[in-house]
Amino acid sequence: MVDATHVIDAPEQIAALAGRIRQSVTASRLGAPVILEVLENWSTALGGPDTSHIPGVAFLRMWLRRATLEPIVTRELGQGALRAEWTGEGLARLKPFPLGVVGHWPAGNIEIQPLLSMTCALLGGNGCLVRVPRALVSTTRRLLRNMVQSDSGQVLRDRVAALAFDHARRDLQEAMAGAVDGAMIWGGHEAVLNVRSLPFPPWARLAVFGPRLSVAAMDADAWGRAEERPAWCRRLARDVWQFDQQACSSPQVLFLERQKGHGCAGFLQDLQEAFRAENHVHPRESIQAAMTSSICRARASWLWESSENRAFFPSSPDWTILLGAGGSIPRPTQGRTLTVLEVDDLFEPISRFDGSVQTLGLGIKDTGKEDKLAEAAAAKGVDRIVKLGRMHTFSAPWDGVDLIRPMVRMVRQVRSSL
Amino acid sequence: MAAVEDQIARLLSGAPYWMPPEDKSLALLEVLREQLGRACQSNAGLRNYMLHWPIELRSARKVADLPYLPVGLLKARPPLSLVDAKQIKRILTSSSTTGQTPSRVVLDSVTARRMTKGVVAIVQDFIGSARRPYLVVDVEDSVRAGGELGARGAAIRSLQPFAGELAYALGYGSRGELRLERDKVLDFAKRKRVGPVLIYGFTYIIWNCLVKPLAAAGICLDMPEARILHSGGWKRLQEEAVEKGEFNRSVARVFGCSPDCVIDFYGMIEQVGVIYPDCKEGNKHAPRFAEVIVRDPLTLEPVCEGEFGILQVCSVLPGSFPGHLLLTEDMAQVVMYDGCPCGRRGIGFRFAGRVPKAEMRGCGNLDNRRWHVPAA
Repeated sequence: MVDATHVIDAPEQIAALAGRIRQSVTASRLGAPVILEVLENWSTALGGPDTSHIPGVAFLRMWLRRATLEPIVTRELGQGALRAEWTGEGLARLKPFPLGVVGHWPAGNIEIQPLLSMTCALLGGNGCLVRVPRALVSTTRRLLRNMVQSDSGQVLRDRVAALAFDHARRDLQEAMAGAVDGAMIWGGHEAVLNVRSLPFPPWARLAVFGPRLSVAAMDADAWGRAEERPAWCRRLARDVWQFDQQACSSPQVLFLERQKGHGCAGFLQDLQEAFRAENHVHPRESIQAAMTSSICRARASWLWESSENRAFFPSSPDWTILLGAGGSIPRPTQGRTLTVLEVDDLFEPISRFDGSVQTLGLGIKDTGKEDKLAEAAAAKGVDRIVKLGRMHTFSAPWDGVDLIRPMVRMVRQVRSSL
Repeated sequence: MAAVEDQIARLLSGAPYWMPPEDKSLALLEVLREQLGRACQSNAGLRNYMLHWPIELRSARKVADLPYLPVGLLKARPPLSLVDAKQIKRILTSSSTTGQTPSRVVLDSVTARRMTKGVVAIVQDFIGSARRPYLVVDVEDSVRAGGELGARGAAIRSLQPFAGELAYALGYGSRGELRLERDKVLDFAKRKRVGPVLIYGFTYIIWNCLVKPLAAAGICLDMPEARILHSGGWKRLQEEAVEKGEFNRSVARVFGCSPDCVIDFYGMIEQVGVIYPDCKEGNKHAPRFAEVIVRDPLTLEPVCEGEFGILQVCSVLPGSFPGHLLLTEDMAQVVMYDGCPCGRRGIGFRFAGRVPKAEMRGCGNLDNRRWHVPAA
């Protein structure tokens, strides 16, 4: 069986793989319809016993479906893209063509991200080199095997190579950067800076996703209704738990609008219950000691800082709720540590956003108010405004950027006869 | 108040390592509970923290149940204090070689006295009580009197109760770097060749400023009864790929003594008065006025024998600052909970380096905010 995952030890290996992929891309141009069909088949094949337990696979299956991807292709590449045809635009017509070979540097905290990133470039007709973070090599290998097996026509097999190598090997990173025409870069501050500093060819296009943080907000009408509160809390807990709160779409703080004449004790009880329940269903299997230290430090310094501050946590580092007041986003602790800050007016914290906030997860009863909050947040740099419980739902645009279009050339033709 | 002082005095006065672990645990629990209750009354922040601790103070059944503070809190400015400013006699500052901000610990006269007694009790158990010539592998500036004393100075001073004649082995080079005063050291060695001698220095300073130059010159100081104590951690030596065994053998060769006479101890400014020397089996032990808990990072529960975890230190000696129960940023392995062949009772553990820096792997790792937003 062909294994699309390669353990790399020398720059020459990367050059050879890139050369092979470039040849495939040049030899046969694939239109979106063919690629969509292969991805649909892959979606059906996923979910067997070897992959079903991988976090995010259920989402990946949904993502790969034609019904999910077709609207994205149409929106980003135009109506004609679904038929591999030109799309008219006034007197001109447009058609997407691939950049060539696209390099992917996914973050190490989301198991399916190497595949999500890869599919975006494939839909543009590109070939892909995917640098797989050490922690994700085994899961990526299994998922790619599944793709190769389901690709009976071997349409994508020769267009994809996942590369496993030590992130500290500068020579390998440089070889990969030098071999690509575009790059999709995901990750934290340090990782993104490192990748961006690599010697990409001058024509290479870079699409950068992250580093960002995310925020939740609820108005008093939403959290004040005792009958609806547990459901809101469960949604929030789900958003906190996924990816161990280390994703750019993970909520780090919840701004809670004060309810006149009422405290938030009932809400906090429900939130603790939701955290306990989520922890019961999804307990941690491991944790870095440094994260445990950070959690302990966050608990202690929060309570020490002000005797008005409160906190709720078990003896273990499983989860933490820090309660206080104020409109500034505190430094994120991550590790399932949610800071809940009471405010009089939700517009106040939004007015302080500084462009670092990627997603604003909302629980707002009044649609008119929600739209105004969304407008204010967007003006302050927020790129996604979604309902609580859906903060991690991957969709285009992401980080304010289209997912397929950045890695294609939109060719414009105006006929000479016109 | 007096009862607790008496209990602390009793814990400090006995042989430090021979108390049955169960008796020690009960004694420490009682004293620490009382001390924490009292500390709460003098510090609102600490009181708030303890009020939120998942186990109530009065319900704690063992020392491991009591509320511990992460050691990083002692980096606060101004330093955390449980006494009035006028009672503060000295501020100790950590070396912060691996961290950015040093910890600062305030000492009143009561804590300072207990600290001296604590170190004396521990060191006596390892080298005996007699005073002897004391060669400090450092510069004299490290212990210059003043309001603040660094980690090296504090360690040097803590061993002074064992000192007869005192000499400093190092001076400064032309660029201000530490430099061996070779003639002075050779003269000291010549005069003190017969009889016990105490040597102390930071591990990397002994290695770089004394052992390497003397070994390179082929010099042996010929001090067979020397006891060499060193502390400060292995990070810099690990960078030079120097292992503990090689270090001990090289130091012993330079001094002309047995490698058994080279004793590494773990200590931290934040836990004044308690140090953890290696026993002959290579394990560290907690004296009767202190305890060590190694916690599993996943559960924060104490680990089983043989397992690694985050090191927590406990001590009844602090009075002027909240250093009774500190979760350190160091890792350790519990070798056994009792029964070390060296005879010392209670936990036997080994230091296992700093808590490894977290891998920055997520797209949520944000080091800098984007725009400057003026305060509202």
